[in-house]
Amino acid sequence: MSTEEGFIRSRFGDTDDAVLTLLDNMIWPILGLVIVGVLVFVPQTLRNVRSVQLLLWAAVPLGLLVLAESLCLLSGHFDLSIGSIAGFSAMFTGMLLGTCPSCWNVVSSPWIGFGIILVAGALIGLANGVMIARVGLNPFLQTLAFLIIFEGAKTAMQTQPVTGLPALYLDVGGTPNFAIGVLLVAFLAFGLLMRFSRFGQAVYALGSSEKSAREVGIDTSRLIIVIYTISGVLSAIAGLMLTGFVGVVPPLIGEGLVFQAFAGAVIGGISLFGGRGKITGALGGVILIQLVQSALNNSTAVGATEIQMINGFVLLVAILLYSTQSKIRSRILASGSV
Amino acid sequence: MSADDATSDSESVAQMEAPAVSGTPKIRVEDVVKTFGRITAVDGVTLDIEEGEIFALIGDNGAGKSTLMNILSGVHQATSGSMYVDGEAVSFSNPSEARAKGIETVYQDLALMDDLDIATNIFMGQFPMKGFGPIKYIDWDETFERSGEIMMERLGRDIDLNTEVEFLSGGQRQLVAIGRALAFDPEVIILDEPTSALSVDATRLVQDTIETLSKEQGITIVIVSHNIESVLELADRIGVLYQGQLVDILDPSETGLEPLNDLMTTGTLREGIRGDD
Ligand SMILES: Nc1ncnc2c1ncn2[C@@H]1O[C@H](COP(=O)(O)OP(=O)(O)OP(=O)(O)O)[C@@H](O)[C@H]1O
Ligand SMILES: [Mg+2]
Repeated sequence: MSTEEGFIRSRFGDTDDAVLTLLDNMIWPILGLVIVGVLVFVPQTLRNVRSVQLLLWAAVPLGLLVLAESLCLLSGHFDLSIGSIAGFSAMFTGMLLGTCPSCWNVVSSPWIGFGIILVAGALIGLANGVMIARVGLNPFLQTLAFLIIFEGAKTAMQTQPVTGLPALYLDVGGTPNFAIGVLLVAFLAFGLLMRFSRFGQAVYALGSSEKSAREVGIDTSRLIIVIYTISGVLSAIAGLMLTGFVGVVPPLIGEGLVFQAFAGAVIGGISLFGGRGKITGALGGVILIQLVQSALNNSTAVGATEIQMINGFVLLVAILLYSTQSKIRSRILASGSV
Repeated sequence: MSADDATSDSESVAQMEAPAVSGTPKIRVEDVVKTFGRITAVDGVTLDIEEGEIFALIGDNGAGKSTLMNILSGVHQATSGSMYVDGEAVSFSNPSEARAKGIETVYQDLALMDDLDIATNIFMGQFPMKGFGPIKYIDWDETFERSGEIMMERLGRDIDLNTEVEFLSGGQRQLVAIGRALAFDPEVIILDEPTSALSVDATRLVQDTIETLSKEQGITIVIVSHNIESVLELADRIGVLYQGQLVDILDPSETGLEPLNDLMTTGTLREGIRGDD
């Protein structure tokens, strides 16, 4: 009674299978090409161990933001406010800790500073989640509103660099190997969490179909709140890392980073529509974006003003790649299945 | 007991009004009423579903099929009336209480996650875990092994469990959804319109599978369907709902398309039309 329907062991030809696998892991060959290109045209970017270390160190804040955005994207959501959360929570905590004339300087313990910055990020993320999951606001509008609100709040607090921060507070992001370690541990932890925990699989389920996820018993609105809260915390850690990297809280901290975070996640193979993508791919995306960034900074041919434009192109290329990828997928889908 | 034990005329109208008393039915529904505001969706239905049989519930749009099904699966609560599983009075306030009594439901939309593979779909929300102390993680080997057993041994399908569900055809998707129900080791599976959106081949596949589950594995099947042809081939008994009332229970071998159509649309049989057509 087994009709042909029942057999799909070799669902597609081997070529199609190979193409599908390649599409899911596209980041690695692309990264390889970019590395070759950088070695040829701007070799000083990857001159020695020290320059690789510098590159990775500079990638830490962006990496944490890519992680936050990847989590949101995998769940079928997204968060435009991550850069703004990073900037606001870093500025707010900096104002409390700093000894500069216009700072508030009401807290002196760096440990309390760590607590404050994390709680600030968590609360803002929580508010995002509650507004989206319980009040029912559209994620785009909600997180766009928070992007504007918290960027404005940051500028309202301070327009000068915040200085005089406790040494330990700066050391977290200012010690290259420690900062890189934080990034790698964060990616490792989330990689394992997504693959091996019920939470991680529920995120994929939610991103694949919210209705189905609810029907199999997942508390989707609680999950959405947790996801945005984690996104807020990761963003705040990114703010902390940026502060340490620079040594002060610069007034423009966090601005524009959300676009690079999107680009990193999408180039890394995280689907814009949720449900697909690997955390390891996102790490590849981070490295790629930072590599391009550093190469541009090192290149004598490209000025600082053009870098922003090139960043825009990188995002465009990422999105083009993604849409090509999904077109090929659906073509195989249409032809391959029974 | 099995459906065979029932007396030969147990499916007749006369018997329906006073349901068979021999043995305990798997599920008994007694005088169940469900109202939504002023609408009476289910209007005093009394019904026995025997262990291991395939019972089909048919009826026109709005006849109350889904509502009755949802009461059985714990999605809705009856306004009045009672329900028994294996002779024991039950009332479900949510689907997990029905699940605890061995009743699983496959909803019409199947609740699959297209981006995820078959094994993950089958065990989503109930992954087998392993670990040490407080650290627990998903046991993927076990997940794949058990999904393989379900697909291979219970559904008879040699299927690549790594295949993402979006690549499956309609019939295969239905099987994966049934596979997920089987993962809970149910005694009763309720299926809402299992063949409504399927091609002829796929309908055949799903019907064969349902038949195997009932006849070889002893699972009681309740099907809600519009597809009279499919129901005639598959069901052991067919219950017809009309405006919330169970107007008849028929034996497929003693009825046909026309009388069933008639019953569904008017609630009564025209003279002389009963029996083989
Ligand atoms: N949640 C609800 N609230 C209000 N009325 C409802 C609800 N669910 C069903 N009804 C009403 O109850 C009646 C029976 O509906 P039900 O969905 O059970 O019919 P059905 O036989 O499944 O029809 P269909 O074949 O269209 O699925 C209809 O009049 C419907 O409008
Ligand atoms: Mg219905």
